Amino acid sequence: MLLPKFDYHEPATLEEALRLLSEMGGNARIIAGGTDLLVRMKLKVEKPSQLISLRKIPGFDAIIRRENHGVTIGPAVTAAELSKNELILDRFTPIALAAGRLGAPVVRNRATIGGNLVNARPAADLPPACMVLDTKLKLKSATTEREIEVGEFFRGPGETTIEPNELLVSIFVETPAPWTGGAYIKLGARKTLEISMVNVAVLLTLQDQEGIIVDAKIALGAVAPTPVRAFAAEEYLIGRQPSTEVFHEAGAIGVGMCEPITDHRGSMEYRCLMIETLTSRALNQAYQNALAWKP
Amino acid sequence: MKKAIQLTINGQPVEASVSPNQTLVQFLRDDMGLTGTKHGCGLGDCGACTVLLDGKAVNSCLVLAVQADGCQILTIEGLAENGKLHPLQQAFVDKGAIQCGFCTPGMILSAKALLDEKPNPTELEIRTAISGNLCRCTGYQKIVEAIGEAAEVIRFREES
Repeated sequence: MLLPKFDYHEPATLEEALRLLSEMGGNARIIAGGTDLLVRMKLKVEKPSQLISLRKIPGFDAIIRRENHGVTIGPAVTAAELSKNELILDRFTPIALAAGRLGAPVVRNRATIGGNLVNARPAADLPPACMVLDTKLKLKSATTEREIEVGEFFRGPGETTIEPNELLVSIFVETPAPWTGGAYIKLGARKTLEISMVNVAVLLTLQDQEGIIVDAKIALGAVAPTPVRAFAAEEYLIGRQPSTEVFHEAGAIGVGMCEPITDHRGSMEYRCLMIETLTSRALNQAYQNALAWKP
Repeated sequence: MKKAIQLTINGQPVEASVSPNQTLVQFLRDDMGLTGTKHGCGLGDCGACTVLLDGKAVNSCLVLAVQADGCQILTIEGLAENGKLHPLQQAFVDKGAIQCGFCTPGMILSAKALLDEKPNPTELEIRTAISGNLCRCTGYQKIVEAIGEAAEVIRFREES
């Protein structure tokens, strides 16, 4: 399968990349890992005349710990790197777990977090994981700079609030409170190279080891045009003592937030059942991880 | 417009001129004559085109040749040393892990990336490592066994 013709640019600095992007506007696409873009170009879904590569831009592939505060993830950090990074696994668990379920090893070695967010596929792995954590995206153009909450970033399948002349330059994730645990569950017909039928990311914060739930975040993917937060289920959980029954009830409430479709991957009815089951299962896992929290 | 690239393929430095829309698998097969790397689906689903790029297994159909500038590439042709098969290749032969052979180069390179990182993998780790490589003769069982055996051979060789 052949790629259409295009010009290729490899800017050595961020400034140069932003200048190129503002000059070329809608004719240019950013290429990082290429595992999504090149497929879409081969299928002639996209025909950019210019590709701007991020591979030479310094710092774009770095994971930087912000002491007691959070982590800054470069947009070109690969899914493989995220899935193995100890800091991400320990404190930002849903991101590491979701990254470890994206595609297959050969895909994870190339696919980047920036690409997975900006491409905004409804079934993507990393968006729900970022949405349960306090994640901010920094977008820059040649003349502007802004920061946006990840929850406000997605607009529809393949659509985000990013402008054609803007580049996602960094992803900041705040460190969750003590006694927080996270989980991510992806359901597909097979274990790898799969587009999710339903995916669930959760983050659960306890008052202390035996305490009530003081914060809960649940995000569901592949069940609506964009990933969605199950706010009603979160509100239900806060203030309650964690238990299997409570988690089950939260799952049942979560279903009400979703508008899944019927397609070849699964029917609407099946997806609704799975949302309920997987949400409660993910909450149980997050609870176990919260109990194992260490300073 | 063509771009000049410099890279190392199977230990040999190479300078070449490539079109931006040329993928790494096209460059390896058509320009370098390294046809051991197979071109399967072209969409990153089958893994037949797997090569190691700076030690990591990637689908070379989803990497542009220009993106490999400055990188180390290992293809199936670079595995044998002094005419002697690599333990992975030998184990695939010995265990009958090859039927039609189309997936074999990709399988072996995904396995090589695994063993470089984890010399003593579990069966689950082996199955996960090759989960992006499809075999349509369904020889998975033999392939998994061959990788396990190769791991033992390599460990034994390094200990002695």
